[in-house]
Amino acid sequence: MRMIRDVLDKQVVDRNQVKIGKIDGIVAQLRRGRPPRVAAVEIGSIALARRLGPLPGRWMAIVAAKLGGERHAKPHRVAWSKVRDIGLDIELDIDVHKTAICDWQDWLRDHIVGKIPGA
Amino acid sequence: MKKLLEISLGVVTSVGGFLEVGSLATAAQAGALFDFQLIWAILLGTICIIFLVEMAGRFAAVSKHTIADGLRERFGFNAFLWPLVTTLLVNFLVLSAEIGGVSIAGELATGIGFQWWALPVALVAWLLLWKGTFGLIEKGVSLLGLVTLCFVVAAVILRPDWTRVAVSSMPSLPHHDTATYWFMAVSILGASVSPYLFMFYSAGAIEDKWDKSYLGINRAIAGLGMSFGGTISIGVLIVAALVLGANGITQVDDYHQLPLMLTPVFGFWGFVLFVASLGIACFGATVEIALQQAYLVAQGFGWNWGEDLKPRDDPGFAMVYTVTILAAAIPIALGLDPLKLTIFSMALTAASLPLTVVPFLFLLNDESYMGQNRNGVISNAAVLLIIALGFVLAVVAIPLQIFGGS
Repeated sequence: MRMIRDVLDKQVVDRNQVKIGKIDGIVAQLRRGRPPRVAAVEIGSIALARRLGPLPGRWMAIVAAKLGGERHAKPHRVAWSKVRDIGLDIELDIDVHKTAICDWQDWLRDHIVGKIPGA
Repeated sequence: MKKLLEISLGVVTSVGGFLEVGSLATAAQAGALFDFQLIWAILLGTICIIFLVEMAGRFAAVSKHTIADGLRERFGFNAFLWPLVTTLLVNFLVLSAEIGGVSIAGELATGIGFQWWALPVALVAWLLLWKGTFGLIEKGVSLLGLVTLCFVVAAVILRPDWTRVAVSSMPSLPHHDTATYWFMAVSILGASVSPYLFMFYSAGAIEDKWDKSYLGINRAIAGLGMSFGGTISIGVLIVAALVLGANGITQVDDYHQLPLMLTPVFGFWGFVLFVASLGIACFGATVEIALQQAYLVAQGFGWNWGEDLKPRDDPGFAMVYTVTILAAAIPIALGLDPLKLTIFSMALTAASLPLTVVPFLFLLNDESYMGQNRNGVISNAAVLLIIALGFVLAVVAIPLQIFGGS
């Protein structure tokens, strides 16, 4: 398997098949004398902004922390050991509603979308 | 039997969904000023869109990815940003033009100025997206769109010189208004080869849960549906040439000139048919483009999406079409001329083509997505030609807009 080709930018679903986002970043651990090890995957706007450069990354981190509080000051990381299946989508053994990843969608539902009749 | 039904339904929906403000306006202008001479542009555009739609459908059916998914996954986020931002922007202008088209139909029908129609139109379209399902939008709206076939009927009744129609299917040099001629050719191509059309088609294939068994159906829908759709555009051009052009109306720069097109053929009902065609065709496109904006963003960032889900289950997706559709209504509500906006956004669509078409060459030849169903020689030759055409259009569209645009 090749990480960039087969993992990065792929669709991510949680254990209930809810679409969480895409793999926006990969965290590798460098080890002395041994090949690097994939430690985690990153999801969310900060990880994405970092791919455009360090500056957009820093700005996005500030914006995210302002809007979402301390829980959103860093990219959302999920340990590589939670990867259950890599096929059409990448399935993570987590329940997205117990993480902060979709907080903004929950906020949108509770404060705006849910208030419009027929939602 | 089930297959046949599915093919006919698919063909019918793509025919009903083909005509929109861009193809209507550009074909009418071209017919009025250049008689049948620009039929080749509609023909060329239709052939291009047949290939692109077939490939978009095949990509979705085989790889289970929409085109937007494929773009992000295959080329990475940084490269994906270019087609994403460009397409969102171009689609936004086209969406605004479509809302303008429905608003003009409202004005023609009631005499109340088109600005007043923009927000109500946006609201009704939004309501359909908010409460409706994909099937309702795909089939219901497009079935109504079959009213646009009246242009084909009118063209046949007017008994055009079919030899000249046939001769015009080959490109020829203009005898007057050279810059305008080429500008119109570019806007006709932009109107026929709309990225929203094939991107929407690939998302639809996923919504309808297509798999490899749909490849034949896909080919038939792309080939027949788009050909019949192109026929309607040619019908508009022929009617415009024989009714407007022949009566000295060569400069169509106002929507109010257009309803006259069908009255010599159908009398008062011609007016009604024109208003209905304009209103329904543009309304259908309004709904589809707003939906496509939401598809593109949600698929690009991996959010939950689906027109059959309730908005509370995909709030991000629902919010994108809500904001887009309301924002796109604002320029029209402020009185921006819908016809000018239409022609401008069609040229811009043409200029943006390389960004959305070049990826087809890679996606459709990638074994990990397509396996045995990769592009053959003919499809690849077609893509290369479309890419070449796209680059030419991208280079000439803006200069021609300045020198040949009205």
